[in-house]
Amino acid sequence: MILLAHELRLLLRQRLSVMALALLATLSAASLILGMSEVQRQRDAIAAIPAAQAEDIAAVADYVDRTKDAGSAAYYSFHPTWDAPSALAFAALGMRDVSPYILRVRALGLEAQIYDGDTFNPELALPGRFDFAFVLVFLAPLFVIALFHDLVSGEREAGRQRTLDALPRGGRSLWRRRSALRLSLLWAALALPFMLAAAWEQVAVGAILAVLAVAMAYLLFWAGVAALVSRLRCSSVTNAAVLASAWLLLVLIVPTLANVAINAALPIDQGAEIALAHREEVNRAWDIPREDTMRRFYARHPEWSPSAPLGPEFHYKWYLAFHQNGDESVAGRVRAYRAGLEARDAAARATGWILPSVGVQALLMRLAQTDLAAQLRYQDRIRSFHRRLRTFYYGYLFTDRPFDRTDFDRAPRFGGDIS
Amino acid sequence: MSTAWLIARDELRMMVRNRLAMIGMGLLLLLTLTAVVSAWAHQRGIAELRARHAQAAEAAFDAQPDRHPHRMVHYGTFIFRPLGPLAAFDPGVDAFTGNSMFLEGHRQNTANFGDVRQSSLLIRFGQLTPAFVLQVIAPLLLIFLGYGVLARETEQGTLRVLMLQGARRWQVVGGKLLALGLVALIAGAPAMIGLVAMARQPGALTLPMLAIAAGYAAYLALWTILIVVVSGFVRRGRDALLALTALWTVSTILLPRAAADLASAAVPLANRLQSDVAIARDLRAMGDSHNPDDPHFAAFKQSVLDRHGVSRVEDLPLNYKGIVAIEGERMTSSLFNRYAAASHAAQARQNAYVDRIGLLSPAIALRSLSMAAAGTDLEGHRRFLDQAEAYRYALVQRLNAMQAQAVRFADDTATDADADRRKRVSASHWQAAPDFRFVAPDGATLAGAALPGLAVVLGWLVLALAALGLVTRRLGARR
Repeated sequence: MILLAHELRLLLRQRLSVMALALLATLSAASLILGMSEVQRQRDAIAAIPAAQAEDIAAVADYVDRTKDAGSAAYYSFHPTWDAPSALAFAALGMRDVSPYILRVRALGLEAQIYDGDTFNPELALPGRFDFAFVLVFLAPLFVIALFHDLVSGEREAGRQRTLDALPRGGRSLWRRRSALRLSLLWAALALPFMLAAAWEQVAVGAILAVLAVAMAYLLFWAGVAALVSRLRCSSVTNAAVLASAWLLLVLIVPTLANVAINAALPIDQGAEIALAHREEVNRAWDIPREDTMRRFYARHPEWSPSAPLGPEFHYKWYLAFHQNGDESVAGRVRAYRAGLEARDAAARATGWILPSVGVQALLMRLAQTDLAAQLRYQDRIRSFHRRLRTFYYGYLFTDRPFDRTDFDRAPRFGGDIS
Repeated sequence: MSTAWLIARDELRMMVRNRLAMIGMGLLLLLTLTAVVSAWAHQRGIAELRARHAQAAEAAFDAQPDRHPHRMVHYGTFIFRPLGPLAAFDPGVDAFTGNSMFLEGHRQNTANFGDVRQSSLLIRFGQLTPAFVLQVIAPLLLIFLGYGVLARETEQGTLRVLMLQGARRWQVVGGKLLALGLVALIAGAPAMIGLVAMARQPGALTLPMLAIAAGYAAYLALWTILIVVVSGFVRRGRDALLALTALWTVSTILLPRAAADLASAAVPLANRLQSDVAIARDLRAMGDSHNPDDPHFAAFKQSVLDRHGVSRVEDLPLNYKGIVAIEGERMTSSLFNRYAAASHAAQARQNAYVDRIGLLSPAIALRSLSMAAAGTDLEGHRRFLDQAEAYRYALVQRLNAMQAQAVRFADDTATDADADRRKRVSASHWQAAPDFRFVAPDGATLAGAALPGLAVVLGWLVLALAALGLVTRRLGARR
């Protein structure tokens, strides 16, 4: 203990070390504050939905109430869905800046709606977010390098190494002590601000511990790299250059190369093709006998088939039926598209086993529920909500029940849960 | 041979003997080559894919059967943003914006299916393009090769020897600058050769290419000078390396991200739900075409009747439903444009915020210069959105006018069994509708947009030269 305290005094006497630790703590705190304010903005946007929605639906109700037509209600009502950020989202914002977390859907064809995005500034999304994950994955290794590159070589260059090796509890045990001290201080610079933020955001203890363990493991990895490089017994300055090159390779270059490789190896049936096929299928309905459409729809959904036959005039049940037929006709493409996205994601995760930078990023995004899996889960919730919407409106349309003002309140509400 | 040349030659010989330096240089050249080839192949692949999709969409539109024109308003059309030739050098925000758009009546849809949502999380680590290599990686390599150019001489005491032998300070500094400058030239050359090769594609423009070349040349020159300045300023090689790496980290890695986050916190953007609800509210205030008693449409109807000197819509020479559709589209479209302009203004304010931080980081300035010249910045996307909206409006109004002229009001309101056939107009009309053609901006516009960024990089260059003057004057004086 006394020895450690002594080492701490020695370390704190170096201006570079103190500055590095203070800077890392500051950057970590800044990233947490920015992340928390972004998550708060997202929460505020979600909290503002009901007021805006009430105004919008009231106007639709005013209009529909004149005809009591359930079809018009289905056609003009947009229903909000949202994906609330998880408690840990502030630490790794992941894909939440480029994928929508609020999406309004109608009971029409879902495949023409579910890929819509929200408004965002692409020039701000381009460099990526300044979140805790960025500080940990990109910046923390540089601080490890700053504190570890001269751990042994510095003493050698100062002519003290032989003396230190000869001391009781010197040599290996000394380097271990010093390494442990530096590592703990670096970890504390990251972990203390994080724990404060996590407590404020009421993150579950398990998730906090997981993040802290990941951070420690990642720092250990870089300290290990530094130890390996120091075995080459080069000068401090060469060590620093070699370590910085390793960082450049592992954090910047190889991930971009892997991205090119994955996208080339796993081509994706472009989403635009779903949209094109869906539109053809939906609009074709206007040019084929309406009975064909209904037959196809009833074959898949016999529960509605007792409905009265179509008259010569327009009926919304036919309109909604061909929209659903359209969705069902591209179901295969949708599955393939999703499988493609998942395959790319899986490949990137597999890269994470070799590239700690990618692995840590993927792990944090998984813990924060801001990765592709979370996006797809949100889409699943939208799909299941949309099914409920359809069933709700069909209940009026296929039995020709009038839809009046009070029925708007009976419409399904997005609950965020999977039903 | 002059002293400066001799010093430069010596320095280069040192670098060539340094195995690590040579490996690093070789890797950089290889990486640039990979970046040029893969980014180019990517750009061509995307351009071909989008062209193919666009053609398929146009063919599908033209092939539609006889239809009621309003059906075509909802059938709509898909358009795809083409990718300019310089996007192979710097794709900018292309991957982050949707590149296909569905255009239909009464609605303004988002551009969908951006690469960022179709790629793995790796895309957020950066994209391997020539621009990325030159902006981010080349400076770090120059730092590794050059941090010691002066610091090493100071540290080992050889600087004094040099000066005793009669080398002037400016000759020493000039020689080192020359050597490192040559390295920078070699580092930047493959990307520049790639740029020239890309520029030989049809549609590539000279002025933006020159802006890009000038920007990157100035940027690499800036780093070369900065490295020599820091190396001459500090006492030890290690300090030079740490200081330069810190400088590089802050300016190329940290500030771009921090700037983006600060900008999005400082200037909020209205989300789509809020603007859609606001548009619907404004539209109700202007007039509600669904409401038979609406004052705006009542007055509009009266004005149409008065213009034609009739008292009933049935007596109009044109189909009144088509006329109302034209008026309705005019109203919604004016709101779309107003809200899109407001959103774009907010995004432009965000970018201006980033650009102000860019005064501190030449990397941010260079990035905006490079994207602006390549036409792949937000402004480039905005050009696409504006042209898409103009095309959408013209197409929908063309179809609405067709409804007013070619479909009789009596048929349009009939509900008998044969009415559907009578409402339809000939399919030849669809082929006659013009296709969407993105009009690329001219070279002067693109190069002009790159000027602010270029000015910042050049401003930094001037500052760095001034610092170099100071360091040269003090070289070896205070030890």
